[in-house]
Amino acid sequence: MSFKQLIFRNLKKNLSNYYLYVFALVFSVALYFAFVTLQYDPSMDEVEGSIKGAAALRAGAVMLIAIIIVFLIYANNLFIKRRSKEIGLLQLVGLTKGKIFQILSVENMMLYFGSMLIGIFVGFSVSKLLMMILIKIMGINEVATLRFSVEALIQTAVVFVCIYVVIMAMNALFIKRQRILHLFQVTSKTEGKVNRVSVIGMLIGVLGIGLIAFGYYLSTRLFSGDFTELNALYFAMLTILGSVIVGTYLFYKGSVSFIFNMIRKKDNGYLSINKVLSLSSIMFRMKSNSILLTIITTVSALAIGLLSLTYISYYSTEKTAEESLPNHFSIPNEADAARFMDELEAAKIEYTEKKVDFHQVHADLSRIMETYDEENGSFNPGDATMVVISDEAVEGIDLSRNESIIVNFPDTLQQFMSLKETGQISLKGQAQTVTLNYKGLEDRNVLPSLLTLGGFPVAVVDQGVYQQLKEDMDESIQKESTVYVGVDVKDKGEIEEADKIFQELGFQENFGYSSRLYVSSTGKITMGLAMFLVGFFGLTFLITSGCILYFKQMDESEEEKGTYKILRKLGFTNKDLLNGIRVKQLFNFGIPLVVGLCHSYFAVKSGWFFFGTELWTPMIIVMVLYTLLYSIFGLLSVLYYKKVIKDSL
Amino acid sequence: MSILEARKIHKRYGNKWNKQEVLRGIDIEVEKGEFVGIMGPSGSGKTTLLNVLSSIDKVTNGSIKIEGQEFTKMKEKQLAEFRKNHLGFIFQEYNLLDTLSVKENILLPLTIKKVTKKEAQNKFAAVAKELGILEVKDKYPGEISGGQKQRTSAARAFIHDPSIIFADEPTGALDSKSASDLLNKLGDLNEKRKATIVMVTHDPLAASYCSRVIFIKDGQIFTQLNKGDESRQTFFNDIIKTQGVLGGVQHEL
Ligand SMILES: Nc1ncnc2c1ncn2[C@@H]1O[C@H](COP(=O)(O)OP(=O)(O)OP(=O)(O)O)[C@@H](O)[C@H]1O
Ligand SMILES: [Mg+2]
Repeated sequence: MSFKQLIFRNLKKNLSNYYLYVFALVFSVALYFAFVTLQYDPSMDEVEGSIKGAAALRAGAVMLIAIIIVFLIYANNLFIKRRSKEIGLLQLVGLTKGKIFQILSVENMMLYFGSMLIGIFVGFSVSKLLMMILIKIMGINEVATLRFSVEALIQTAVVFVCIYVVIMAMNALFIKRQRILHLFQVTSKTEGKVNRVSVIGMLIGVLGIGLIAFGYYLSTRLFSGDFTELNALYFAMLTILGSVIVGTYLFYKGSVSFIFNMIRKKDNGYLSINKVLSLSSIMFRMKSNSILLTIITTVSALAIGLLSLTYISYYSTEKTAEESLPNHFSIPNEADAARFMDELEAAKIEYTEKKVDFHQVHADLSRIMETYDEENGSFNPGDATMVVISDEAVEGIDLSRNESIIVNFPDTLQQFMSLKETGQISLKGQAQTVTLNYKGLEDRNVLPSLLTLGGFPVAVVDQGVYQQLKEDMDESIQKESTVYVGVDVKDKGEIEEADKIFQELGFQENFGYSSRLYVSSTGKITMGLAMFLVGFFGLTFLITSGCILYFKQMDESEEEKGTYKILRKLGFTNKDLLNGIRVKQLFNFGIPLVVGLCHSYFAVKSGWFFFGTELWTPMIIVMVLYTLLYSIFGLLSVLYYKKVIKDSL
Repeated sequence: MSILEARKIHKRYGNKWNKQEVLRGIDIEVEKGEFVGIMGPSGSGKTTLLNVLSSIDKVTNGSIKIEGQEFTKMKEKQLAEFRKNHLGFIFQEYNLLDTLSVKENILLPLTIKKVTKKEAQNKFAAVAKELGILEVKDKYPGEISGGQKQRTSAARAFIHDPSIIFADEPTGALDSKSASDLLNKLGDLNEKRKATIVMVTHDPLAASYCSRVIFIKDGQIFTQLNKGDESRQTFFNDIIKTQGVLGGVQHEL
């Protein structure tokens, strides 16, 4: 048999083994090529230019390479392990290691570059789709057109040739290290001796759970005011990260086996088929799988966490804009407001106008503070600078002379301080101090946050008191403006036109001047790109970790074939076995997923309020989507097992 | 009353162009409580016969009844049902699940039958004692000897009191001491529990524990020997002689 024939036969015979490898390759190439095509596309210039997205895209490409390398190396390892017997045989019949390596390399090359071509083709088709998605979420008015980019092609080719070289080097190492005997043993060897559950294992497990719990606890304290110094904050974050990751690892290494063992002990040897196939099999492998599972969990948690946070920001852009800007257009100047309104009238756009007088006073809020950390706070509750307005500016509110309420209280602030239901506050101008009965919080925004000292609450007092305070105003703490004009366009369809006028007047550039539409749409572009990138990587993480678990299951099913054969001889039906496998997959995919979801929940919970105004909806959407996509891999494994079980007898 | 009745069973392997008939019209009848041995040269179709008799493989032609139930035309699901109620297996390569302890392995057949926990524990205690594996009940297959493994395997075959037990070279991987240990136990169980056993073996010594030995050659029954009231030693000598004839015929080819 000639050399060529040998290679060709091998290829044909191993096609069933290859399909997994081919899939991994096509997927990786397609992903990378799509990404790079996008990066080189001229229509992305706007994105790149407007927000310096170029750096983000480039960093993304590097990260993508890292994921792909890990993924392909893993797939290749599994693949070569499966073929170790064949390699051993070739060696046994007298082929030198060098020759075998040559056969493998040629074989791999055909496969690798074949898959690459397919991958590039798939990637090109996908990139158009990606482009459409990106444009949609950024809210840009543009049509997705794509050209085939030669630069992208070259870059992809270079990257994957390099990966090919790395993989070949690893294969060479594998062949070199193995003796014939080893090669035969690799697949037949079960993973070590049965791991007895020992006291040490138990302690490790408990320690793991303890570390995770500690990390979670710390994460809830992270932004509660306990850590104010930047260094302390970093240190706390690192501690959380470390203790959760190590805890996860120990959890997999000890606790899972321990918990399963307890369940098993209770049955006193009388195990149901579901437990035989799930508990005992998972326990048996948990120890050796714990690193892999820890990585997958961490990666999933990272992906879910980042996805949730970016989605929270994206989801909240409109709300955030609404919160910081109570009206469609904010103009802190009466003359300018008049100019703008004239223009609106000329364009026949109906509007309503709202004028609010305001100024700054010294405020003593100490008697209405519920919780506030004085040492670390950024202001002194006994003497804070605060904006005050008249009750006439707040619709539906009429206060008597000795009463006051608070408006413009942002959600973000609620994380740091909370107010009592009632109490007394004192407001002071230059000389006089008025003390008022505080009547509570009114959940609405009257002034844009830019005019309220960056989002500090605003006190509302009776018109008479307001006048009195105004006459006694302390000039040294006033800002440029003491009047705010908010303009609302009546017909929502005309906001865009009004925004054009506002921009033509050049108002947006001035301090305190703002168009809500403009703010929310620029926010959408920034957040849209961020979300696209994070989503892209989240999906990549998801698919690669799902694939790795799936590959792992393929491997395990191969090893457990004997078990299924015995069980079927004993009279278990295919259905019995499949039910057991379902339970096993539920754990196999479920454990890392649930732990990952938990981790990301605590991560998101600890700092979400920096990103947006809405936690639950976006986070739950992300988690449900992730879980659904991830479950696909569990289903695929079950299907694969179905085939193995059917063929086992 | 015969517990197993096979009529004119044929088994062919291969496709249209490349056919090989491994079993060519075998008739076998096994009575309740019998301990039957099947011997024959390598490649004569012993394993194939056992697989077919035990419903693991399908016949090409012929009928097989166990306890009066014809199963050659049953569907997979019915077959599984049938196996769990009527059959027990002991195989050469132990066939234990590595991830389960000895006790868990032995109790497996009961879990399919949904026996109560208490009854299961009693049955386990009885069979484990008879086979002398009580001490190792909490160990894993990787931690016990070959003989113990095979006795575990036997315990699993006996625990649910099947109508018939099939054993394919159960002593194949054991040294002579462990082998005779196991065979003695099988003989005991055969007597005490009135268990019916069909065993394929190469080893004349193993075959001498049987009450009847069937010799097959080229997919057909060559002859059979009954132990009757003979001592094991003379039965052993008879078997050796017959094997010589069988082997001799083959040598002439
Ligand atoms: N799955 C199969 N496909 C094709 N031919 C088979 C198959 N299984 C067995 N054979 C053939 O059937 C014949 C009988 O095989 P069998 O395993 O029954 O022999 P045996 O008597 O058990 O031999 P041994 O004593 O060596 O175990 C052999 O020639 C074998 O090649
Ligand atoms: Mg055989």
